[in-house]
Amino acid sequence: MSGTILENLSGRKLSILVSILLLCQVLCFLLGGIFAPVPAGHLTILGSLCRENHARQNDTNFFLYSRGDGACKQVTSEEVDADALKLANQIVHVFQLPLPRENKILEYTRWQQNLIGVLQVEFGYDSSPELHEPAKELQLTIDMRLAYRNNDDADNDWKLYAHSVEHRYLDCDTSHIGPTETLYTCDMIPLFELGALHHSFYLLNLRFPLDSPKQMNLQFGHMHDLTLTAIHQNGGFTKVWLFLKSVLFPFVVGIMVWFWRRVHLLQRSPALLEYMLIYLGGALTFLNLPLEYLTLGLEMPYMLLLSDIRQGIFYAMLLSFWLIFAGEHMLIQDSGNKSTIRSRYWKHLSAVVVGCISLFIFDISERGVQLRNPFYSIWTTPLGAKVAMGFIFLAGVSAAIYFLFLCFMIWKVFKNIGDKRTSLPSMSQARRLHYEGLIYRFKFLMLATLLCAALTVAGFIMGQMAEGHWKWNEHIEIQLTSAFLTGVYGMWNIYIFALLILYAPSHKQWPSMHHSDETTQSNENIVASAASEEIEFSHLPSDSNPSEISSLTSFTRKVAFD
Amino acid sequence: MDLSYIFVICLMALTFAYETECKQKSGRGRGSMWWGIAKVGEPNNISPISTGIMYMDPAIHSTLRRKQRRLVRDNPGVLGALVKGANLAISECQHQFRNRRWNCSTRNFLRGKNLFGKIVDRGCRETGFIYAITSAAVTHSIARACSEGSIESCTCDYSHQSRSPQANHQAGSVAGVRDWEWGGCSDNIGFGFKFSREFVDTGERGRNLREKMNLHNNEAGRAHVQAEMRQECKCHGMSGSCTVKTCWMRLANFRVIGDNLKARFDGATRVQVSNSLRQSSNAVPVVVVSPNAAGSSQGVANGLLPQSAFEDEERMLNDDHMPELLMDNNGMAVIGGHQMLSKQHHPNMPSPNSLPVAGSRARNGNGRRMGRKHNRYQFQLNPHNPEHKPPGPKDIVYLEPSPSFCEKNLRQGILGTHGRQCNETSLGVDGCDLMCCGRGYRRDEVIVVERCACTFHWCCEVKCKLCRTKKVIYTCL
Repeated sequence: MSGTILENLSGRKLSILVSILLLCQVLCFLLGGIFAPVPAGHLTILGSLCRENHARQNDTNFFLYSRGDGACKQVTSEEVDADALKLANQIVHVFQLPLPRENKILEYTRWQQNLIGVLQVEFGYDSSPELHEPAKELQLTIDMRLAYRNNDDADNDWKLYAHSVEHRYLDCDTSHIGPTETLYTCDMIPLFELGALHHSFYLLNLRFPLDSPKQMNLQFGHMHDLTLTAIHQNGGFTKVWLFLKSVLFPFVVGIMVWFWRRVHLLQRSPALLEYMLIYLGGALTFLNLPLEYLTLGLEMPYMLLLSDIRQGIFYAMLLSFWLIFAGEHMLIQDSGNKSTIRSRYWKHLSAVVVGCISLFIFDISERGVQLRNPFYSIWTTPLGAKVAMGFIFLAGVSAAIYFLFLCFMIWKVFKNIGDKRTSLPSMSQARRLHYEGLIYRFKFLMLATLLCAALTVAGFIMGQMAEGHWKWNEHIEIQLTSAFLTGVYGMWNIYIFALLILYAPSHKQWPSMHHSDETTQSNENIVASAASEEIEFSHLPSDSNPSEISSLTSFTRKVAFD
Repeated sequence: MDLSYIFVICLMALTFAYETECKQKSGRGRGSMWWGIAKVGEPNNISPISTGIMYMDPAIHSTLRRKQRRLVRDNPGVLGALVKGANLAISECQHQFRNRRWNCSTRNFLRGKNLFGKIVDRGCRETGFIYAITSAAVTHSIARACSEGSIESCTCDYSHQSRSPQANHQAGSVAGVRDWEWGGCSDNIGFGFKFSREFVDTGERGRNLREKMNLHNNEAGRAHVQAEMRQECKCHGMSGSCTVKTCWMRLANFRVIGDNLKARFDGATRVQVSNSLRQSSNAVPVVVVSPNAAGSSQGVANGLLPQSAFEDEERMLNDDHMPELLMDNNGMAVIGGHQMLSKQHHPNMPSPNSLPVAGSRARNGNGRRMGRKHNRYQFQLNPHNPEHKPPGPKDIVYLEPSPSFCEKNLRQGILGTHGRQCNETSLGVDGCDLMCCGRGYRRDEVIVVERCACTFHWCCEVKCKLCRTKKVIYTCL
């Protein structure tokens, strides 16, 4: 056993490597901050009112649209007000997106990836005494039809994309109390989520059926403005993001191949930590795989779900890795066998598994169902919202348990190290230097992990703050959000890249000669001089494990038996 | 240069003061004729599609000033929004004043006459309200029309994003589409504000006190629209978490703005001429300035530029900075030139976001040309009663007390309250005693037939009963 590269690397080389990686990190951050636009753009669209012919109300291939040849004749709000029945059951709210700007007809491109729509409702009641405050959970029934058209289609060539009659619960506040009418402004309601923005133009037709026997929409007075906000990913952000992925992907694959070859060159089967590293690299590669290129040609509505799953797998792997990393540096020696996940860590990892599964179920029941019905949202019904909150709560509890447990394990490792440190002075100089170096590097890695985690959290909070202060004429650079996203993404890539390099088995053959350790300066020599001590471990009765990855493990293990 | 700038402003202020003293009784503001377009399309329904036809209408031609005509011509679809806006202002004004002696009545549109009548010739509270509400309504209506898609020339807000590297080398139209693809086109209600300033404030050059009053009230109207905007956010990161969050601004219902303006009407400030200038307190931070004109590397700096340095006779809609009123919420107590000095870091900064659209020829003389109009928004009105607070940017100001509006006086454009309905039980202005100015009132009983107790069936049947209700109506003699 020759240890890992981390232990055998000289301080100078290590610092060079670290500074190169830090430079890459800064580059990732700047890539997002300078080149990329804000991650998502939005259009706020006010519904146009069209009057409809009753004969075609149930025809789902008939669409009303507000711009282009054959557009419907729009009804003004004054006409609606003038009608005694406010044109009940005759009005269709039409949203045609995207909007024209700067004398150009804009169209969505496939670079814009996905589309999320939320609706804001304003309505008014007659301020007559028998009408009271609206209940907090008003049920709104909406007949929604989404259609699409491509740029080479005729203006009236709308094709149905999805149709559904959905219920939404509104939470409304009084915005104005007047002598004739009381106005209510409602919280926004989720309307639809499209995982693939595959077509050029979209059209949304909304109807609010009034029906007395079914008590449908009767609680609503007079609908005023309906505002749809359509959020899409910005094309520029997708390009920068894909560029980053395409650059990182070959590097990580390359370093994985290198790592695995190095492991296999050894005369032993790979250790658990090495397996974990390669799994982690695999999860990262799956995340890095620039699958989004396919969306430029294919319609892939499952991309939102897939990217959630990819991120989920990666984070689950990272969390498991930390746990096992800490565990492998502990001195649990339940059996002399090679430690595997099943034999030793299944209890530790159960929190991660439970958390991930509950998030997965939540995601499947939200974005999975949206594959069938883009208007579906689990949050729209009180029961669904409770179930969703339940899953998220479960995931949160698992996360809390996980972190408590991880902190406990790390504390234990440090405690062990601290305990054994007291016995260090009694060791020989070479051995002491060797172990001190090991402890230092273990701490160094813990520090790096903590730093990465802290930077992620800080970046997240910073992004939230910048958004929180967002005013409509802000001069705060909103690109902070993009910088945060690319920075964090690059950071975890670099982190794992560094782990794969530093935890690869070293090929430096320790010389058989024992140097005078006082005069050696380089770490390699110190480590080399410590090699003679290594033999001691192998004489220990319990130390039959040939596969321990670092000498620190063997050190702590040995001391435990002292 | 800065010192001379301030000096020129002071000189101009003195000149204005002199002029206004002389012409205090001069006629109404010249920018108010466009209100007439509210009545232009009346016989037929106006829809944004028919704007081409509407523009041919000679009535519009005579209503609008030359610059306004150009704006309408350059922005197809804007006319429909203007008509809507003018009608919105009228109906809101009539709603707010339905219980007062002056009920915001309009006259039939006649060539050369003002829509609201001769009351506009006087600088009284009511006039101030009309200016504020029309300006606010145009802002609101244009912003709405942009989000409805009925104006195609609405601008994109590119201030928050770096521009696509290729975009700057392309021809105008391609660049715009590329920008949209690269960084989206997040809505800016800003177009409404810019257009409102361009359109509504034409002709108000701020030369005399009355024009200053009009300008101030126009700005106040827009400030109220701006103050009532609300931010909304949506999280859409991984699994819907807040790692990615998008926020946007939402316009309030115009009724809310009308309520606020009415409250300001009740507390309006009477002003008189002043010598002090409203200085740079409202110099606007120009949003994002790209230091290299090519803009390809997207270095972003935040430059603060005095708005006036860029104001030009031909200020264009394509300016990407917001009108200064948007920033001007902290009062305007700043006096003296040092602030202007400190803000003028980049006197020759190239125009930050000049969009490649026809008509952005505006800013070629940035900072050096200081024509008359540069500071037309930079004045301070002093309260008539020196113990009162000076008017803030959202306050309505007036020059002379209102007439009683009791008796008909056609020479002053007052219709009087004869024949108005009143409320017998109320003690307020809508009460019959006050409304009828003590002349007495008449009691009538009428039977009103209304549809009531309607039942709906989807789809598509509505059945209603007819209900008769007896109502008592009081009418002023």
